[in-house]
Amino acid sequence: MATVKINGKEITVEDGTLILDAARQAGFEIPTFCYQARLSRLGSCRMCIIEIGGQKKLQPSCVTPVMHGMEVFTENETVKSARASMLEFLLANHPLDCPTCDKGGECELQDFVFKSGPRRSPFSESKRRFHDKDKILSPVIIKNHNRCIHCERCVRICDEVVGRTALGSIGRGAKIMETSFMDSTLDCDHCGNCIEVCPVGSWMSLPYRYKARTWDLKEIDTVCPYCATGCQFTIGARNNEIVRVKSKITTGINKETLCARGRFGYNFIQSEKRLKKPLLKKNGKLVESSWDEAISFIKQRFGAGKKTAGIASARHTNEELFVFQKLIRDVFKTNNIDLDSRFANKWVTSSAIEVLNLAAGGISIFDALKAEVIFVIGSAISNENPITDYLIRQTAVDRRKTLILAHPRRFKLNSSANISLRYKPGTEGEVIKGITDFIEKGVFHGNVVGDISQVGEKFKNAKNITMFLGADILRLDNGTNVVAEIVALKGLLKKAGKNIIIQPLFDRCNQRGARAMGIHPLFLPGLKKVKENGMDCGEILDAAKKGEIDSLYILGEDIVSMYPDAKFAKDALSNIKFKVVQDTFLTETAKTADVVIPGASYAEKDGTFTNQEGRVQRLRKVISPVGNSKDDLDILCSIGGFAYKSAKEVFDDIKKEVLGYKDINFDALDGNGALVKGHGAENQGSRVKGQGASEIASASPRNDTSSNPYLDEYPFLLITGNHLFHSGRLSQNDDVLIKLLAEPFVEISEEDAKELGLTDKENVKVKSSEYEAVLKLRVVKGSQKGVAFMPENFDSVSVNQFYKKGQGIARVKIEKQV
Amino acid sequence: MTDFLKKILFIDLIKGLSLTLKYNLSKSFTIRYPDEEKWLPYQRFRGLHTLNKDAQGRELCVACELCAKACPTKCITVVPMEDNNGIGIADRIAKIYEINLVRCMFCGFCEDACPTTAIRMGREYELACFSLDCAKADKQRLLAPQEIPVEFEGGYVIKARLERTKEGIRVRPDLTKKKRWW
Amino acid sequence: MLTDNTIENIKKALTKYPNKQSAAMDALRIVQEEAGYLTEDALLQVADMLDMPPPELNEVATFYTMYNKKPVGKHHIQVCTNVSCSLLGSEHIVEFLSRRLGIKKGETTLDKKFTLSEVECLGSCGTAPMMQINDDYYENLTDGKIEEILKGLK
Repeated sequence: MATVKINGKEITVEDGTLILDAARQAGFEIPTFCYQARLSRLGSCRMCIIEIGGQKKLQPSCVTPVMHGMEVFTENETVKSARASMLEFLLANHPLDCPTCDKGGECELQDFVFKSGPRRSPFSESKRRFHDKDKILSPVIIKNHNRCIHCERCVRICDEVVGRTALGSIGRGAKIMETSFMDSTLDCDHCGNCIEVCPVGSWMSLPYRYKARTWDLKEIDTVCPYCATGCQFTIGARNNEIVRVKSKITTGINKETLCARGRFGYNFIQSEKRLKKPLLKKNGKLVESSWDEAISFIKQRFGAGKKTAGIASARHTNEELFVFQKLIRDVFKTNNIDLDSRFANKWVTSSAIEVLNLAAGGISIFDALKAEVIFVIGSAISNENPITDYLIRQTAVDRRKTLILAHPRRFKLNSSANISLRYKPGTEGEVIKGITDFIEKGVFHGNVVGDISQVGEKFKNAKNITMFLGADILRLDNGTNVVAEIVALKGLLKKAGKNIIIQPLFDRCNQRGARAMGIHPLFLPGLKKVKENGMDCGEILDAAKKGEIDSLYILGEDIVSMYPDAKFAKDALSNIKFKVVQDTFLTETAKTADVVIPGASYAEKDGTFTNQEGRVQRLRKVISPVGNSKDDLDILCSIGGFAYKSAKEVFDDIKKEVLGYKDINFDALDGNGALVKGHGAENQGSRVKGQGASEIASASPRNDTSSNPYLDEYPFLLITGNHLFHSGRLSQNDDVLIKLLAEPFVEISEEDAKELGLTDKENVKVKSSEYEAVLKLRVVKGSQKGVAFMPENFDSVSVNQFYKKGQGIARVKIEKQV
Repeated sequence: MTDFLKKILFIDLIKGLSLTLKYNLSKSFTIRYPDEEKWLPYQRFRGLHTLNKDAQGRELCVACELCAKACPTKCITVVPMEDNNGIGIADRIAKIYEINLVRCMFCGFCEDACPTTAIRMGREYELACFSLDCAKADKQRLLAPQEIPVEFEGGYVIKARLERTKEGIRVRPDLTKKKRWW
Repeated sequence: MLTDNTIENIKKALTKYPNKQSAAMDALRIVQEEAGYLTEDALLQVADMLDMPPPELNEVATFYTMYNKKPVGKHHIQVCTNVSCSLLGSEHIVEFLSRRLGIKKGETTLDKKFTLSEVECLGSCGTAPMMQINDDYYENLTDGKIEEILKGLK
């Protein structure tokens, strides 16, 4: 510990603390440009210079650590005049076009000059000028080099946090330019973090360009509706129109970062295509109707027959899902309720709930990342959960830590990984079994590319291990086997006295919350076991196909587009007598419905989301629902006849039923949310697993023996997931995100491409036994051989058409298009 | 005595009448507004705002919204947009520029705040009208040149003519015929 | 596009360094020696060979004035304009040269013979003002001396 005197105030801090941090702790503000807490230290802007007693020259406080007995002055005349001179130098080349600059009003340079800058400048030379027109570098990013003050925050965040290194400092001296390669259009993640960290208006958002000034905006903190990382951000709306999304350095696990879909994916809210009025099917056609008519029609018809079911999407708030399950369970008296979550069967999801220990309460990701070994399996994390990817990348910089990635595809985080494992989709269980066997016996079997023995060694030597379990394993029919292997590995490591944390990586914002709210055929709210097992998604559709389901309520899920076997899903749905779809867009599923009710998007309602860590975060209403659409909670309450008036009232009820939420104060939820506590429910998972075992055996995947003519004809295993710029089918309605990626593609490894004589970006024919389509090819170095990937986000070529029910992972062949 | 004399000789009456007579014969001070004359204000007058253009006819307004920010009655609405056709001096121009004249108190803060001298208080003061619509000055109206040119010195009474139109009553000045009021 | 010879030379150079990225400057020098200057394609190809993100390699290439990003003439005249040379009249020398050759700094004569550029300190401050033509230093410059040097180059 070191005691330092800052402006006469004594403060004791840890050794090695920067003077800047110590001064901020002591309550003195020091202006900075190049300093950013999570980035490497640069010390180039010289704004943070301070005087140290006994030293003649001023020192930069952002790179100088404290020493015991040091005396620091941050606000004396010398420092103040030096600061003013630094600003004068920056302004010598800054164009001062604040009236036309989008940053004006929240510009750090503006603020500091206003506070401590010189009031006049003797510089009369002409200013450095690179260009007259701003440069459009991507559909979302626009750059003005003239305003740059060379803090290089953008370059560092792109390299160190995002991991893309799309930016560099070109040139030297005063004429340096922070830009993309050769100033060309960026080939980047379009995350916009460069915009966020830019202290001046050098990097700007193109969709927000010249829409408003910062002081016009009504800014409300809310949560991202895409993946389950649960990033906090601030929505800025002007005149009931959302104009931008901004992250805040002070709030959320994401702090100043966001990904492309979080930052730019708000345009779907005001899309033309939004449903604005309830639709009723009359004479086989959906026609607009009034709310009263639609609601009374549902009340009259829904649940009239024998069997009723409900399928919900995990994009809804805890409150809505709680009321939805109440509607299905209490009003329509059935346990046939499930979440879409990649249409895993109920035994897989329930065993996953067990191994992930969702009932035990949330673990902060920062605690999870303290472990020496971080193992990620079953998620192309850079695409599915980009912010978790950033956090892991920053942790992995530490040499004492080992990052192990196991996935068939190579993705961005692989460049930071110590060990990468490749395997064929569906053999996740073998990978984990291999690790277990190696630790236990020193030998292993299995067809895995990569050094499992090394992974085993790392596991053996570590004290704390964190495993991130992706949603990919849920997709597998043999998911329970994978879970069983994980349980075995966990047991083994526990026995060896290691701390092991298993964190889920979900692809939908409220997947964890939805399970806790009882959206599961086997669990009531609070993960209490039901008396009579309900049907899961697959079973509901099976029953529907046989004509056994009379009414189905679909809350925000596009089954026709997402269920692995499009034809089957469509057939099954057409056999249901009465279908209600509540959604924001007229999806393929909604087109088949008898009643379509327009719900609200995330910016139009209140509520809470529970992210993958188990962090409950507040979603806040920014604008009123567009057109004639309504808050989903209102709709569900009026159908079910519940008397809830606000999300808070529902949350109070949730607190009674779900013990983990008991201590959470709805109104007090701030930027950091609140982690759920252990539910206190007993461990029912083992019983569940026992029950499911027989069914799983029957549904095990096809045997991958090489002498199968079918396999020879269709050599590629087709896997799917979200692309970095898209999430589910929601984002294709966003005209900005669609500009980033408008068309689906098929991705294969470089080896396969070479074998087939295919090159990057050419059009290829992808064919399965069910469907064929022409797609653009992407070739990736270092992916698993024999695996093809297609994003699941587009209606134009819907990936589920390649699938056939009961065949497990789809098989395709890829040929040159003639 | 003198009082009595004054009374019988109507001295006070004559005094009073003589003043009346004097004014009767002197130059008239009544501005025959609105039928024949109108008051032309000084250049510093704060009347209806105008949006200026530069010598090449480009809009000076860059839609920085500082006028809206400075406005004490919050009567100015500016919505910017991007334009690459050279309409304005920068690529940022106003998509909407609207002043609610009912709320405006003509303080001239907007003029002070403007970094490009785009907005200026003009000399038009006949703002009364038959419907509330014309109480809102939109960009088109503000950009249109006002009847009295900027360089025209004020502080006069000028010849004018009353015009009744569907929109309202206008008093059209004849800038060639001006006269000092005093 | 890089020639096979260049690729071969870069591969050879790679063996001298502990990791691929360390060879960046050497690789760029090899490319420049063979092609005269660095093209965008060449940078991309080298970046691929060195497993470096292209912007990072571009940073290196643009930081050093010794790497040419544009084609240069047969004689590349580089005048130092740092402090010592500047105090002793390098600005005049640049002006003289540009008048003499009919080009501005950064430009190449039409016959592709001369390129004039301004560079940072070349470490010959004791003999300022000075310039470098291709690989040779010319020191203690005066107008007359420059005239002679240029004649010698023709």
